Amino acid sequence: MPELPQRKAGIVACSGEELAEGTVSRLAALKVLQELRPGHTVTICLPLFLAGGEGDRAFARFHPTITIDGCELRCAARGTEMYSGKPAASIVVNDLAAEHGLGKIEGRRQLNAAGKRAVEIAAGRLVELVDEVLGKGDHPAHGGEITEPAPQQTRIATCSCGSGIPVGKITIDGNAVEIVALPLIFQRFHELGRSPDAAADELLATVKIYNYVAPGAENRFRETIVRAYAAFCEQEAVQ
Amino acid sequence: MIPNKQSVVVVPCSGIGKPFGSVSREAAYVLCEELRPADTQLVALSKLVLGEQQARERVRTSLAVTIDGCKQMCAAKLVKGNGGTIGREVAVFDVYRRYKHLKPQGIAELNEQGKKLARVLAEEIAESLDTIDCRGSEQGGQHA
Amino acid sequence: MSEYLQTTIDKFAFRVAKDRLYTPDGVWVFWLQPEGPNRVRVGLTDFRQQHSGDAAFVHVKPVGTRLQASDDFAELETIKVNLILPSPVAGTIVEVNEALELNPEIVNQDPYDKGWLAVIETTNWEADRTRLLDASAYFSVMQSQIEEELKQP
Repeated sequence: MPELPQRKAGIVACSGEELAEGTVSRLAALKVLQELRPGHTVTICLPLFLAGGEGDRAFARFHPTITIDGCELRCAARGTEMYSGKPAASIVVNDLAAEHGLGKIEGRRQLNAAGKRAVEIAAGRLVELVDEVLGKGDHPAHGGEITEPAPQQTRIATCSCGSGIPVGKITIDGNAVEIVALPLIFQRFHELGRSPDAAADELLATVKIYNYVAPGAENRFRETIVRAYAAFCEQEAVQ
Repeated sequence: MIPNKQSVVVVPCSGIGKPFGSVSREAAYVLCEELRPADTQLVALSKLVLGEQQARERVRTSLAVTIDGCKQMCAAKLVKGNGGTIGREVAVFDVYRRYKHLKPQGIAELNEQGKKLARVLAEEIAESLDTIDCRGSEQGGQHA
Repeated sequence: MSEYLQTTIDKFAFRVAKDRLYTPDGVWVFWLQPEGPNRVRVGLTDFRQQHSGDAAFVHVKPVGTRLQASDDFAELETIKVNLILPSPVAGTIVEVNEALELNPEIVNQDPYDKGWLAVIETTNWEADRTRLLDASAYFSVMQSQIEEELKQP
C-alpha cells in the first residue's frame, strides 16, 4: 500500500499582464515558491492548467491549492475551480492593498513602491495560508511539525484524477462520494492504534486535507467516516 | 502604424514555471509599450479563457500574435480554442535556438540575457506586423 | 504500445517503459528483433528528459560511428545542462533520428517512441545486455535519484 502522500500546497497566480496587480500576484507567488516555502509548495502554471496540463490539474485536485489574483475577475480562482475544484484559499491583490491602505499600484513591468510593498504583504499572506492548509501542529497525517518532504511512492494509479492515490467510497445522503486517500488514512490511523470514536474529529480533519468538505456537510461526513473506519478496524482484526 | 489595418492583439503565455515564460511576458511588454503601441493591444490569456467580454471581443475582431514560452504552446492553443485567429504564433524557445548565447535565467527577475532575448523577439515581431493580414484570415500566419 | 511503471512526485509523473532495458544514467535500450538479432534502438528516459529540461539541440554522432560501450554517442543541450550520453552498447550507429534536428522537443514530448535517438548495430550484445537494468531495477534506481534530488536545497 502506498504511503500517505507528503502534503504540499499548490499555488496558482493569475500573472495578468494588463494590470500591475497581475505582476504583484506573479511576484508574490514566486517569492513563496522559491524563497519562503520552497519545499512545501508547488507551482501551478495557469496557462498550462487552462490548456489542459493533466499533471497540474491532477495535483490541484488532490492537494490543497491557493490562488492569488490581481483583481476581482479572479481568473486563477475561477480557473482552478473549473478544472480541479474549489481552491483551499484565495487572495485578491486589490483587496489586500485596500486592507493595508496601500497607494496606487503601478508599473506592470517595474513595480512602484506600493507594488513592491504589495508583493511583500501578499507573499506574507500566502505563507500564512500555506501553513494553515498544510495544518501545522500535532496531527496523525504528518506526525507533528511540518517536516522536509519525502517523495511519494505510488505504483497503482487508482484515482481518476491521475494523481495515483488510492480512493475510497462512502455514502452520504444516499449518494456515493469518492474520498481521495481514504484507504491510506484508515491504514495510518489503525497503525497508530486510534479508536473510531476517539479519532472522529481528527479523521475528518485528515480527510479535509485531501478532499473538499462543505462546512454544512461536516457532521454527516464525520459520522459516515467514523462508521467506515470502524468497519475497517473490524476487518483488520479478523485478518 | 499599420496602414488601414486594425491593431493586432498580443497574447503572451506568461508561464510561471520557466524563464521562457517571463521572456514571453517581457517581449509582449516591449512590443506593446515601446515598439508598436499604436498597432498592438495586450490581452491577458486567462481573461480570454475565463470569458471576459472585452477580451473575447478583441480577440474575435483582430488577428492575434501569440507568444509562448515553451513548446506546450498554451497561448496558441487557448486563443484558437476561444474564437481567435492567429496571425503569428511565436515560440520563445525557437527564437532562443537562433540566439543561444542569450540564455535566459530567473523567473521573477530575468537576467540581462533574458531581457535581450525578449527585446530581440519583440523586434522580430514588430518588423513582421506589416506583413500580417489583419483582415481576420489565416493567410500570412507565421511561426517563429 | 509499451506499458509503464509510473511514480508521481507532486505534479510530475515519471514513466518507465516495461519493454526495454536501461542504464543507470537514464538511457533506454530497445531490442529490435525483427530487424535482426543485433540491432537496438536507444533513447532518453522520461525521468532524464524531465530532469534535464527542454531540449534546445540534440547532436547524435553520425551514421557509421563505431562505439565501445560507454563511449559518448549523443549530446543533449538544454537551457539547464549539456548532457553527454554514453552508449549503452558496443557497435556501430546505423540510423539517427533526423527529426530531432529541427524539432528537438520531441525528446521531451515522446521520449520512448518518436523521441528515439539512434539505432545501433551491436557487436557484443550478449555481454552488454548483462550490464543493463530491467525496467523494475531502473525504476528503483530512478526513485533513489529522485530522493537525492529532493534532499537538495
